Amino acid sequence: MARARRLERKPVLAVIVTAVFFAWLYLPILAVALFSLNDKKSLSSFGGFSLRWYDDLVHNTALLDSLVASLKIATVATLGSLVLGTMLALGLERVTSRRGRVIGAVTLLPLVTPEIVTGVAALLLFTGIGLKLSMTTVILAEITFSIAYVTVIVRGRLAGIAGEVEEAARDLGCTPSQAVRLVTLPTLVPALVGAGLLVFALVFDDFVLAFFTTGVDPQPLPVRVYSSIRFGVSPAINAIGTLMLLASALLIVAALWVPRLFNRGGASSLDLITGGDQR
Amino acid sequence: MSTPSVSLRGLTKDFAGATVVDHLDLDIARGEFFSLLGPSGCGKTTTLRMIAGFSDPTSGTILVDGEDVTCTPPHKRDVNTVFQSYALFEHLDVRGNVGFGLRRKGLDRRTIDARVSEMLELVELGDRHKERPNRLSGGQRQRVALARALINQPKVLLLDEPLAALDLKLRHAMQAELKAIQREVGITFLFVTHDQDEALSMSDRVAIMNDGVIEQCGAPEDVYERPSSVFAAGFIGTSNLMSGTWTAGCVSVADLSIPVPGHQGSAEGDAVSVTVRPEKIWLSELTPQMFRVSGTIVATSYHGATTQYVVSIGPDLSLTVLEQNLPQMRADDRWHAGDRVEVGWLPEHTVVLT
Repeated sequence: MARARRLERKPVLAVIVTAVFFAWLYLPILAVALFSLNDKKSLSSFGGFSLRWYDDLVHNTALLDSLVASLKIATVATLGSLVLGTMLALGLERVTSRRGRVIGAVTLLPLVTPEIVTGVAALLLFTGIGLKLSMTTVILAEITFSIAYVTVIVRGRLAGIAGEVEEAARDLGCTPSQAVRLVTLPTLVPALVGAGLLVFALVFDDFVLAFFTTGVDPQPLPVRVYSSIRFGVSPAINAIGTLMLLASALLIVAALWVPRLFNRGGASSLDLITGGDQR
Repeated sequence: MSTPSVSLRGLTKDFAGATVVDHLDLDIARGEFFSLLGPSGCGKTTTLRMIAGFSDPTSGTILVDGEDVTCTPPHKRDVNTVFQSYALFEHLDVRGNVGFGLRRKGLDRRTIDARVSEMLELVELGDRHKERPNRLSGGQRQRVALARALINQPKVLLLDEPLAALDLKLRHAMQAELKAIQREVGITFLFVTHDQDEALSMSDRVAIMNDGVIEQCGAPEDVYERPSSVFAAGFIGTSNLMSGTWTAGCVSVADLSIPVPGHQGSAEGDAVSVTVRPEKIWLSELTPQMFRVSGTIVATSYHGATTQYVVSIGPDLSLTVLEQNLPQMRADDRWHAGDRVEVGWLPEHTVVLT
């Protein structure tokens, strides 16, 4: 009896560890959101609610330019890496030779290469071939870096759908290219949405690659934020951080709901990222 | 004889030096329900894939309705496949899946709609036509796969172990249904399976495949009652295989002389294998025409409708005997391990294998 009661006891330690974990994770972020509403310029004492830093932000053209630049970079890099990464995944799926498997493994290298190495390498390459550092070079570097993520996610989904699906399409009258267009790609939509959201989030706030490959103006947002805190943090940074937090929260909600809207009951792209609901 | 639906001539497939399908010659008649039966790795699925066009033969030709399609890509072949995994298109609903082939053919919407509805009635899925495949049960998915292939009215329908993923009860129901649908549409079915019950109960003809060759081909009764090879006898049902030598019109196995009336083609001293099906051996009510031998029951196992006995005849020879549990028999009338018994069977039930 005593033994049974012991087993039924609440897992106090587990609850405490979980609470500490979440506090550690989210309290600093909450602080940023709170201090973005601070009336004072201080980052340590709170002097009442105010929207003055949001007002400041709206008039800070340099910061806004950087925000727009980062959004552009993330959008173009997402689209570019989706196209290239999906093509790579589809190609690797058809290769069965040993050499093909080696190529497949090599494509994963950017995932484990220290980003600073990738950054320096990109910088050396661009200056070596005489390409002027600009938003274009940032985008090129980010695409290179993101292809691996897209390929991994898309290949995961490809492995989940039976190889017979494409054969079924050809059996029912599709040429090989029609089979990819009419069956394989539509089946991959949840994976593409998931990969796209992930890459967008990674590229949007990527600092290291952007720092090495950006030109002078407009700098990507993370680089701009970093250079401005060297001269003391303006609470406007808190404001833009809070706005970005809200935007990413919206993206997560979208990731949850958008696939459900056109694929009732199907696996959402969030499941794909979190690895839940494997089917 | 009219043109066969499918003709294979010397069909061969090598994979990395190994011959998977070895000079296959086969004719399947129009409207026939034909099964390729064999263990995994025997080449049956490879044969099917070559007929569908997913795999190129190393040599040989494939004719569909008299037309050489050996080098025709799958989308131009007048055959359709029901895949083992069903391979449904998850981004389309049931209607979209079933109508897929007709849309590729460029039929107009009204015709497609009408034929899809008709086909869904045939497979009894009319009320689920707006569902996505992932909301359907295994049996329903199977029906969608069948409807999606059948709607194109192919010259031949290829089925790759389509019932393997279903549970036993559903499988039996689908076997009957598949057979009924085949009779109704009159399309040639080429059915690949490793399940002997399935092949025997559904097919007009069965080909038993092993190591890339057809061991035996014939009506289900023929391949079961008169297996021609050791493999065929062993693969279908239980068989009592006995190997001996041909001596004076009998097969000498250990110290038995088993008569084989009507057998020709063996010379004195040849090695000969014979088999008797377990249900052909009697434990009681033996008649004078039977070949008889005495032995000891060593094991019994009760299977509800039948009881299986293992009877030891000699040091290295035992026979499996299957008795029906008839109404007049009571539990204590059955045999038990250790009982001395006399078994017997009619000489014509001894089958000589090559």
